[in-house]
Amino acid sequence: MRASAVSLAVGYVLFGVAALVAFAAPLWYAWQVSVSDYRTAILQEDSDRLTEVFNRGGVTRLVNFIDERVGLQIAGERILLLTAPTGEVLAGNLDRWPASLPQQSGVYTVPVVLDGKPTPTFVVRTALPGGYNMLVGRDLARYTSVENDFWLGLTAAVAILLVVAVLGAVLIRREVLARIHGIQQTASAIMQGELSHRLRSGGGPQELDALSQTINRMLDQIEQLVHGIRNVSNSIAHDLRTPLAELRSRLEELSVTRPPPAETQTEIEGAVADVDRVIGIFNALLRLAEIDTGLRRAGFVAVDLAEVAAEAVEFWLPAAEVKGVALAWDGQAPLPVSGDPLLLAQALSNLIDNAVKYAPAGRGSIVVGARRLDNGGVELSVADNGPGIPDAEKPRAPERFFRGDASRASPGVGLGLSIVEAVARLHGGSLRLEDNHPGLRVHLRLGTEIVALSAPG
Amino acid sequence: MKVLLVEDNERVARFVIRGLRESGHTVDHAENGRDGMFLAASEPYDVIVMDRLLPGQVDGLSIIEALRKAGNRVPILILSALSDVNERIRGLRAGGDDYLTKPFSFGELLARLDALGRRTWTGRETILEVGDLRMDLLSRKVSRGSRAIPLQPREFKLLEYLMRHAEQVVTRTMLLENVWEYNFDPQTNVVDVHISKLRGKLEQAPEKPLLKTVRNAGYMLTAD
Repeated sequence: MRASAVSLAVGYVLFGVAALVAFAAPLWYAWQVSVSDYRTAILQEDSDRLTEVFNRGGVTRLVNFIDERVGLQIAGERILLLTAPTGEVLAGNLDRWPASLPQQSGVYTVPVVLDGKPTPTFVVRTALPGGYNMLVGRDLARYTSVENDFWLGLTAAVAILLVVAVLGAVLIRREVLARIHGIQQTASAIMQGELSHRLRSGGGPQELDALSQTINRMLDQIEQLVHGIRNVSNSIAHDLRTPLAELRSRLEELSVTRPPPAETQTEIEGAVADVDRVIGIFNALLRLAEIDTGLRRAGFVAVDLAEVAAEAVEFWLPAAEVKGVALAWDGQAPLPVSGDPLLLAQALSNLIDNAVKYAPAGRGSIVVGARRLDNGGVELSVADNGPGIPDAEKPRAPERFFRGDASRASPGVGLGLSIVEAVARLHGGSLRLEDNHPGLRVHLRLGTEIVALSAPG
Repeated sequence: MKVLLVEDNERVARFVIRGLRESGHTVDHAENGRDGMFLAASEPYDVIVMDRLLPGQVDGLSIIEALRKAGNRVPILILSALSDVNERIRGLRAGGDDYLTKPFSFGELLARLDALGRRTWTGRETILEVGDLRMDLLSRKVSRGSRAIPLQPREFKLLEYLMRHAEQVVTRTMLLENVWEYNFDPQTNVVDVHISKLRGKLEQAPEKPLLKTVRNAGYMLTAD
């Protein structure tokens, strides 16, 4: 992490230098071009003026003019030379033509011996009428200092940039490291079980804040899930204790009192029934866990929900009749969906089981319905005329092991609706409990995405 | 029946062996996969009970697959603590004929072994008969003596299963799985209600009772 902060800083500096070079290079080029163009223009102008003097007044006039100019000038600043067709020097501050200068007219940069040493010089050679030759030039040395100033400025800029970049990198590194350190500390605290810890957010870079907030929301979710699991584990422990306590006292009583064989047999059968109750709870919990993993989704097939519902109703009909409860199927058909037929049957079976359990004996009535919704989803409903569930308890009814006041006296472990809800969730849907005035109406809605487009084959 | 039990848990094995011997069956016991494989390949058994998690991380399913590959068609009941539907499907795909989840009741195991080991019907018969009860599978008519018995389609399926397993104990779970294809326990006596409704149709005084309740196990259709 430290290394990555350092490389981040180095990268930042390198990037700054590269940007500066990219900025300075065209500037330098533009300066070079414009300065040399400007120099050429000035020298050309000089040369033109001198040519004009020659054209008007001839050689004598030009010689005088040049002598005058040379006399006025600071030595070396301007180079002037006029030669006769014979090559004899007529006027100027050079005693002969520079050695490497070409014979034709034009603009050249050549070394010229000034004050005893060769100096790069920018010159214009002009051929005058009558075979005379003229050279006008300027010593480039005077620009060297300007160039040096440019390079100095550039170096200073690089130095300043380096300082700023290093400083910035150090600050970034410190900020990033501090944030990461904070995240690390929080994560360690959470790993040690203090789930309430949250990352600091605000006062930093926006991106880091957003990240911190996302992580905090994730932590909220995890905390909620862990609490949920804790509650479920507590409920499991609590709900298993009751049948286990009964079993234990039954067995202990048996070993203490040693009743006659017939009674012993009855007690042993009771003990087996107690164990079966515990196994039943475990089976329901395992089934719930199995549904919650979502693995069953891989086994989804095309199912006619109406057929599943009608079969479940047919399955429960004799049991309802025995209790004097009217059980009827009143739904649309067919209702092709994609789903797990066994789980859908189990969910419906749990709902009908509850309805039969709570519908009043002798005058109960249960209606199982199914219809396609406008949004393309499918809804199953089971409505009874039993005591219903108070509004306050409705949201809690599908919770694991939740048992309302009305159901406490009846057999069951409080997992039936949990399984129904898990099945609904697996099918991208939801479970809704409503008042049936009187009684309970349960809606099991399946998500639109699970509805098959084609009818089951 | 000659039964091979491949099971490493000593207590479970003792309980199953004693129960099977008391019911008049011969039992061989293998404590690990290698012995189980050897016995299964060398002796003729009527049925094999195969635990899934065997010593040395051996899965009973691999033994079943090996037996099936070798052409061995003996009925196999898989005994497993893995209750997921997917595991059940894997077990049956590997070549198992039935799948029973631990913990189980001995009555359930015995009934399923009977159903597997005594599977004598071919599936090609057109008439099933138990005493004076007669089922015509083609015309889908049931009669007792000269009396015709009208049945709902599901009742017909229920009776057909009972008749195919006549003289054998059939448990509620077996009925749920085979008649309704419900692989879950409705926790209520729904199956009992269906049976008593069917019994009401089958046995009208003074006819002899046919459909008997076997305590702590299930039902048996018998002519005796």
